Amino acid sequence: MEAKVAVVNGGAGGIGRAVVRRLAGAGYGIFILDKNQQAGREILDQLRKQGCQAEYRATELTNAPQLRNVFAEILTATGHIDLLVNLAGGTLHRHPIQEFPLSEWREVIDVNLKATFLCCQGVCRPMRERRSGVIINTSSNFAITGGTGRTAYAASKAAIIAFTKSLATEMAPHGVRVNAIAPGLTATTRVMSRYDEPEWRELGRSIPMGRAAEPSEIAEAVAFLASEEAGYITGQTLHVNGGMIFN
Amino acid sequence: MKRLENRIAIVTGAGQGIGKAIALGMAREGAALVIADLNEANAGAVKGEIERVGGKASALYTDISNEESVRGMIDATLNEYGRVDVLVNNAGIFPTSPVEAMQEEEWDRVISTNLVGTFLCSKAVVPHLFAQCSGRIISLTSGRAFQGARHGAHYAASKAGIIGFSKSLALELAPYGITVNVICPGITDTAQPRGHQTEEQIYAQGQRIPLGRIGQPEDLAGPAVFLASDAGGFITGQTILANGGGIMW
Repeated sequence: MEAKVAVVNGGAGGIGRAVVRRLAGAGYGIFILDKNQQAGREILDQLRKQGCQAEYRATELTNAPQLRNVFAEILTATGHIDLLVNLAGGTLHRHPIQEFPLSEWREVIDVNLKATFLCCQGVCRPMRERRSGVIINTSSNFAITGGTGRTAYAASKAAIIAFTKSLATEMAPHGVRVNAIAPGLTATTRVMSRYDEPEWRELGRSIPMGRAAEPSEIAEAVAFLASEEAGYITGQTLHVNGGMIFN
Repeated sequence: MKRLENRIAIVTGAGQGIGKAIALGMAREGAALVIADLNEANAGAVKGEIERVGGKASALYTDISNEESVRGMIDATLNEYGRVDVLVNNAGIFPTSPVEAMQEEEWDRVISTNLVGTFLCSKAVVPHLFAQCSGRIISLTSGRAFQGARHGAHYAASKAGIIGFSKSLALELAPYGITVNVICPGITDTAQPRGHQTEEQIYAQGQRIPLGRIGQPEDLAGPAVFLASDAGGFITGQTILANGGGIMW
């Protein structure tokens, strides 16, 4: 592939679709990794109809051998990966701690934190060897504020910030930048489906800017961190939340 | 379409260093610039640089610690362009003294310029941003706000103050669609570190920064343009550290 290559893990999700559209618009060839095959094929069709170079691979987030194979295959096909965006994951399970089964707690940590680790491992060596590359992980406002019933989710998202700083330190001497975005409340169908309309409006009003983020606004932050304009930014977390919390 | 087409941006301290790089970066993206600086000759030179490449700019003598002077800066901007969209609070001073020997006059001068100056410029621009229900205020802090500065207690205090001020102003202005953010450089290749360090010391610091070099003024232009553009419209109250990983926050 001649173009810059971006791998977007979770690229078929609510924020993911906005990110892959934005990156395709910036000229990246896109590899979408996502477990949701229907959504994956849909966004793939859209991108291709617009003349964008895109591929989709069905992946399980915590299946290490499968991810290794997928990254190896992408590298064989393209020769390089310029950008990795880790967006996959989610809250999955919400329980008070006394009712939180260990298996579910661990699952939340794995789909958010371990999946990020595994995908980063998939690109670190080739990026280091080319002395160039950008990795963008996804944290959350809950990393800072915590949330009722979200002990696992908040822990995983806070861990991603520390993981990002550590990996940034490791990769900086090799010309690779590693940063995180931290979206606040974002208007994806998955999130919006949890609320009825008055609840959703009320939630929006509780944010200083008076509304949730559009997925496209999160995508702009990803595009910025991926760009040369952010060439001296590494190890940082960029909060995109309309003033919900401050870093 | 350039990302700051038809926007009017005031950059204080734009006669040199980081302010100049931000002004040039915004001009490249189509903004018309007001180059506000204590040093008129420097401001004029930057204006000339922007005009030579087809941009639009004016140069203004401004003392940000003086309310009259700040009012003059806003009036002149409105007279020239009819509006203002972006304020970059970049101007600052950085004398050094140990606290024990620090004269009250020097303390006052640093706080009055760096922190009160940021307040005065922001206050002066706010009514005009309100009127159009849009706008951006971007202020420059320093790694010293996080780590302290040996012999620069006033400077570190003023720069930490800018972060607290900006978060509060962000809350006040968010309902109007106006964002307020902070950019934090690390040690940068400008006049500032040369006040108290040798060239060797300055470049040696680059070795200790994860990305392996000290910052260039241009490294701050990208984040400033991003925050000023539509792309940064839902980011407010944040501090973006563009410091090569020198401090991770």
